[in-house]
Amino acid sequence: MDKSTIVCRCEEINVDEIETAMKNGAETFDDIKRLTRCGMGPCQSKTCLNPVREIIAEYTGKPLADIRISRMRMPLKLVRMSALTNGSEGGNVASVFGESVEDGETNDE
Amino acid sequence: METDLLIIGGGPAGLHAALTADRAGARVVVADESFSLGGQLRQQTQWLSNLPGQYGYGKKRGTWVNEQLINQVGASNVQVLKKHTMIGSYLNGNIGVSDGDKTFEIQSRKNIIAPGAQEEAKVFPGWTLPGVMTAGAAQILINREKVLPGKRAVMVGSNDFSLEVARQLNSCGITVEAIVEEKNQIICSDGELVKTLENVPVYTNSTIEIVTGAGEVEHVVIQTPDGLKEVNVDLVCIANGFSPILEPFEIMNCHFVYQKELGGWLAAYNIHLQTTNPSCYIAGNAAGITDFGSILLTGEIAALSALEAMGFISSAEGTEQKSRCWRELANLESEKVLQARTEMLADYHQKHELDLPDYFMKIKGGKMYG
Repeated sequence: MDKSTIVCRCEEINVDEIETAMKNGAETFDDIKRLTRCGMGPCQSKTCLNPVREIIAEYTGKPLADIRISRMRMPLKLVRMSALTNGSEGGNVASVFGESVEDGETNDE
Repeated sequence: METDLLIIGGGPAGLHAALTADRAGARVVVADESFSLGGQLRQQTQWLSNLPGQYGYGKKRGTWVNEQLINQVGASNVQVLKKHTMIGSYLNGNIGVSDGDKTFEIQSRKNIIAPGAQEEAKVFPGWTLPGVMTAGAAQILINREKVLPGKRAVMVGSNDFSLEVARQLNSCGITVEAIVEEKNQIICSDGELVKTLENVPVYTNSTIEIVTGAGEVEHVVIQTPDGLKEVNVDLVCIANGFSPILEPFEIMNCHFVYQKELGGWLAAYNIHLQTTNPSCYIAGNAAGITDFGSILLTGEIAALSALEAMGFISSAEGTEQKSRCWRELANLESEKVLQARTEMLADYHQKHELDLPDYFMKIKGGKMYG
């Protein structure tokens, strides 16, 4: 496939940028995300997650079952800041939601 | 807000679960992000077979099943929150929902999370052009919005769902110019459905080389074993299968497993449809991509488990009812999916050192009768 083909449409990240990130040591979706912003747009990797996992599998030769999913965070859907704070105690976003999983912890079975 | 059972997702699994719990006397809240209940059942105008016995014998239209569910929920004590999206959880474990104006927590004793599945994209040069959409999006346009998404179409993929949508597009007057399948034969298992499309050229062992056009789809090049084929169309539908929705489960600290035949990664669960978070149950396509009959039954099993845990029904009744549901599911679910599901359940119970009920052996590994 043409390396200029877009994979993450929200952030307009193409195949070449993802492969370059892997050449630079990225191994997981989250590594690629941090290097390229892939999956950091409005859809929060809902569309590109599996296409990127397939590119990782092909590049590394690993089976898809071994390619982890991205870390998913709150809020789960686009929401206005005002909707987060309206009616909540404390009046700031941090008091509304605390992250329920520590950073780096995985939810593997 | 406070309730016994909170159900996230008002599709077939969530509504069927809500009705089951309501009948047993539990207070039930259903939150759904859409302005209308029914989820993806809303635009399934085709005839569905293999529905649970309570829907009567013979085929029923998906939209008819949807109306039944919505009417029954309307006549029940179930509290429905439309246009309410689950956006996270609080530190105390309660689920947070937003109506776009404010965010609030719902204190519940148990949750059933039934967010459904999403369609998988397919990446090829030009896939981001307007006019390229999933088969499900095209189906929403014709059946729900009554808008034609194009005049001439290419369908990418030949599974049951893609051919059903191709048939529906055809019957709306859209010419399906080609069906493109990367495998060496049509995937669809429904011979009658394949027959309705016998005039449509099918390219197997083929992929989309490129889609081009000035600001929208105009031209598609298909890579086939006999060389490149070119067609002028204004619609490309992608039917690359479905995968279970994961986000709400991660936020609720549920663990995940990989099971290819169930759609890839999904939240792990036991035979009671309970996830690794003891207050969260799972139902519907989120628990593995399957048919509508099995989607309804997983909702019922999840609800029965939650009812049993909350004391609304006895353990003996729970076991009896769930045994009935699993037997019914084993009879109507495709063998491949059932096998993957029972394998995952056996692994889960072994890993967590949980006993399997006696009825498990009767459903394991294939169809059972009686």
